Amino acid sequence: MVVEAAVAVEGLVRRYGEVEALAGIDLRVPGGALFALLGPNGAGKTTLFSILTTLRRPTSGRARVLGLDVVRERSALRRRIGVVFQEPALEQKLTVRDNLLLMAWLYGVGGRIARRRVEQVLDRLDLTAVAGRPAAKLSGGQKRRVELARALIPQPEVLFLDEATLGLDVDARRSFWVHIRQLAASGTTVFFTTHYMEEAEVAQRIAMIDRGRVVADGSPTALKARIGGGVIWLNTADDAGACDWLLARGLPAERAQHGVLLVDPAPAERLPGLLTELPFKVLRAEVHEPGLEDVFVKLTGRGLDNDAATGSESGVQVGWRP
Amino acid sequence: MKGSLAVVALDLKRLWQDRVRLISSLVQPLLYLFVLGSGLGANSTLGGPDYLRFIYPGVIGLTLLFTSVFSAILIVFDRQFGFLKAVLVAPLSRVGIAAAKVASGALQALVPALLLLLFAPLIGVHAGALGWLELIAAMTGAAVTFSALGVAVAARFNSTVVFPVIANAVLLPMFFVSGAMFPLTGTPRWLQRLAYFDPVAYAVDLMRGALLGQRYFPVWLSVIVLTAFVLGLGWAAARVFAAGEDA
Repeated sequence: MVVEAAVAVEGLVRRYGEVEALAGIDLRVPGGALFALLGPNGAGKTTLFSILTTLRRPTSGRARVLGLDVVRERSALRRRIGVVFQEPALEQKLTVRDNLLLMAWLYGVGGRIARRRVEQVLDRLDLTAVAGRPAAKLSGGQKRRVELARALIPQPEVLFLDEATLGLDVDARRSFWVHIRQLAASGTTVFFTTHYMEEAEVAQRIAMIDRGRVVADGSPTALKARIGGGVIWLNTADDAGACDWLLARGLPAERAQHGVLLVDPAPAERLPGLLTELPFKVLRAEVHEPGLEDVFVKLTGRGLDNDAATGSESGVQVGWRP
Repeated sequence: MKGSLAVVALDLKRLWQDRVRLISSLVQPLLYLFVLGSGLGANSTLGGPDYLRFIYPGVIGLTLLFTSVFSAILIVFDRQFGFLKAVLVAPLSRVGIAAAKVASGALQALVPALLLLLFAPLIGVHAGALGWLELIAAMTGAAVTFSALGVAVAARFNSTVVFPVIANAVLLPMFFVSGAMFPLTGTPRWLQRLAYFDPVAYAVDLMRGALLGQRYFPVWLSVIVLTAFVLGLGWAAARVFAAGEDA
């Protein structure tokens, strides 16, 4: 029996004039998965997100969500998905409860059913205490939870989140993700975009995207295993020169925005020798187990906080800092 | 249907929360009516009181035009601050969204316009029951037409700064050409020809006909033109909503 993927994308291309935001994306997200689309600003995450949530059309290729074509069957699809946007989508003067009731009406749910559903969602997300407060008077973390509540009102089978915790402090982000994990555990497929590595780590599957292409796809463990060893990060007085020096000695070095990455089967043993021999002043050296950032740098030569290609996707950058 | 009603309900709730906007929308028409009208009327061949009666439907038209078009700024506001996206991912037909926005704009414009009717005895406008009913029907038609214009224009903007500038640049010529402040009969031929392309002229003419029995266009022509404008502009707005973020 073939199980229909919750999200299936084939050869998806999206151009804005001369700019190719998506250059042929292929993806499959199994039903019930907690799936992360990880990439730096300008990688094409938001464009892909907009296409999957029916807000944009692809230039070519196909995308299906819950077996429904995102262009031809978008009306039917809209009934079955919930969306949390990067920007706030709440009516600031309305109370939290009224915002959610409004959303229920937009989805054609009214009367007692709407009120019951709103109370359930408020309770589920610990928002009952602030239900009578105008959205404008909430903290950043509370607002994001109300955004999540808004997206849950239609009881979606797939929940899409676009950089949903952008700008939140660590505690608020942690609290937000507790709810997302609970949702995923209850069987809802969650598709989220992020450029926070620690957020992507909670996913069962991650697709790394760069310059409109998926550069890697798999579980966090499988992706990290692609590194094939431990990692040494070096920050020197001349990173380019240091990288060339390492490469000239046959070492698999990668130059990234904030330093030089070197993968080695035994990094702790390798480092002392390097520090002695390297003909450049070492400002900082770090040895650690490979993380998603390392995988991304290894695959693309760029960090996740690289906003050189920044387009419409803007925001706070958190990535590796030497 | 329920979803479209939710869009209307939200906009009306916003109007209620912003009652200052409602009251201030009466200032401009009252200035036109009692200050400009009195000044121009004193030097008009129609005579002061007759001139005030003549421009009264025009001033109602002005109120409907500016209030309905400017109420569409909520679309621009919602696009700029993200709420429109939440509406666009909901399972509402795009025609339903456009219709709801047109209806809410028309309702928002009708409130101050109906309040202006309270000044009718002061101006000496006395119409029979049928005349008032005909006027309210004409006002509703005008409000829907102007609101459709506002929605069609606002749907294409994402800056709350630029929209009012463009709207004023479009609305003021439409208002001046419409014959709201002067009879079109006797104006230069180019102006009369231009009025045939101006929906405000037909709307004001219908209202003036209902109150004073004076008409420049045949009623059937005014009804057809206004209906065509509503359908054309509504369709254009629905297309923009259907394009989502690609608009």
